Amino acid sequence: MKNNSAENFDSLFEKKKHGYKIFIILFFLILIGIVGIYTYFTVGAVRSTMESAKTEVQGATPVNPSLIGLMKNKAWVESRLKMATDDSIGMSIDLEQNEIQLLLKGVVIMKSKIKESSISGFFKRMDGNVYFNIFGSPLTIRHLESSIAKNPLKVIQAPTTADTAVVIVTAKDSLQKGKNSPPKENIYWTVKLDHNIELNIQGIDSITKAQNKYKLGKGFEFQRDLKNIKSSFEHIIKFQKPNYTPEILISIPENEAKAILRAIPKNASITIRI
Amino acid sequence: MIRAILIYLTILFVGIIFLASMILYAIPALQESTFVLPGVSETQTDAGNTETQKESLNKEVEKLQVKLDKFTPTSAYIIVNTSDNHFFLYKGSQLIRDGKCSTGKNEKLTFVNSKKVYIFKTPKGVLHVQSKQPNPVWAKPDWAFLEDGLPIPPPGDASRFESGTLGAFKLVLGDGYMIHGTIYKRFIGQNVTHGCIRLLDDDLDVVYHTLEVGSKVYIY
Repeated sequence: MKNNSAENFDSLFEKKKHGYKIFIILFFLILIGIVGIYTYFTVGAVRSTMESAKTEVQGATPVNPSLIGLMKNKAWVESRLKMATDDSIGMSIDLEQNEIQLLLKGVVIMKSKIKESSISGFFKRMDGNVYFNIFGSPLTIRHLESSIAKNPLKVIQAPTTADTAVVIVTAKDSLQKGKNSPPKENIYWTVKLDHNIELNIQGIDSITKAQNKYKLGKGFEFQRDLKNIKSSFEHIIKFQKPNYTPEILISIPENEAKAILRAIPKNASITIRI
Repeated sequence: MIRAILIYLTILFVGIIFLASMILYAIPALQESTFVLPGVSETQTDAGNTETQKESLNKEVEKLQVKLDKFTPTSAYIIVNTSDNHFFLYKGSQLIRDGKCSTGKNEKLTFVNSKKVYIFKTPKGVLHVQSKQPNPVWAKPDWAFLEDGLPIPPPGDASRFESGTLGAFKLVLGDGYMIHGTIYKRFIGQNVTHGCIRLLDDDLDVVYHTLEVGSKVYIY
């Protein structure tokens, strides 16, 4: 009798262990399946973006690879020249020299050294014709979002009497005196350009400080990734290829990121050299 | 029972971590790598022809660069950064002086009984020095009285004129905007003005004597 109950217990335990195994295998098969489908669609999106970029330049004479460097130089200067005829402030981004410049009527009014930058694989795999089709002339900002107000304007009610004016001035005076250093803000902004290119600029004074400040990743990358993943899932659930946006991420000092954001018009021209 | 729940929860947790790391990091990294895209095809060309093309391209780039450089004034000009409140005085491509300044406070002054508004900000773009004057007298505009809660005096009234407020010199930029000195030196480096560009005495002296009537003032 005793032997029988011990055997029953063992077989029950074996059955449970077997149950776990099946559960683990099934669970991970489902996960791998999800990851596989997701990978297939997202990678497919990059490929189809490249294909459509190539379709735009179909029929063009292939660019001689040994001349690409010089042709890029020419396109860069030509682009800046086109921008010089513009009345408003434009921006030129030189990822070769790691420098951002603000130009007004062809005059460099500001320079900012790029601390860190990254570009999508899409840009690294472009052929000469696709490159010149995209960066051969200035790009225009189609949409701009920023973490701080682009044109801050404080609304003030005029005092009705001289006495109230004195009170306001005294209060302002003491406030200004206390302003030894401006408050630290998280400065980042993102713009959508022609050809569905996204340009992200974040202000960081030091990479280590930025990591502590933003906690997850460097700046708004994590937030942006989550947004992209959500959009990708929405497409994949409907068995559609998700949208792919080639991105350029640039980190420059905070005060310079702020100055550039406040300086450029909402539909500014941007020239880029990669 | 509890042991079984714990095992299932652990499996679930490991699974979620796996899925999150794949979707958040591994797949985006794969998507952004060059690995998923086909390589750029190399086309062979005649070496001699390439050299000629290189030469002509170099010449073209040089010509374009000369054209672009011509946009930079050869005479003196000033660049004002309204975000950092800093100015840079140039003669051609040479920086002569730079320093702190004060620019527009970015305020909109509104009134209880009137729809009239005043916007106090420094305009961005290219302006020109229209005139220069030493020992300027400030002709106070209406907003200067309204901001102090005072009634607006008639034009030409003695209370409208103030000496010393604008410092030793003024450079008129048009539409009421000027580059001038200040008695509020402690506010230099801050956005406190009504749109004018305020400089410290020494800086103003150099700017006044360097810029000519017609000189360009680039503001961003």
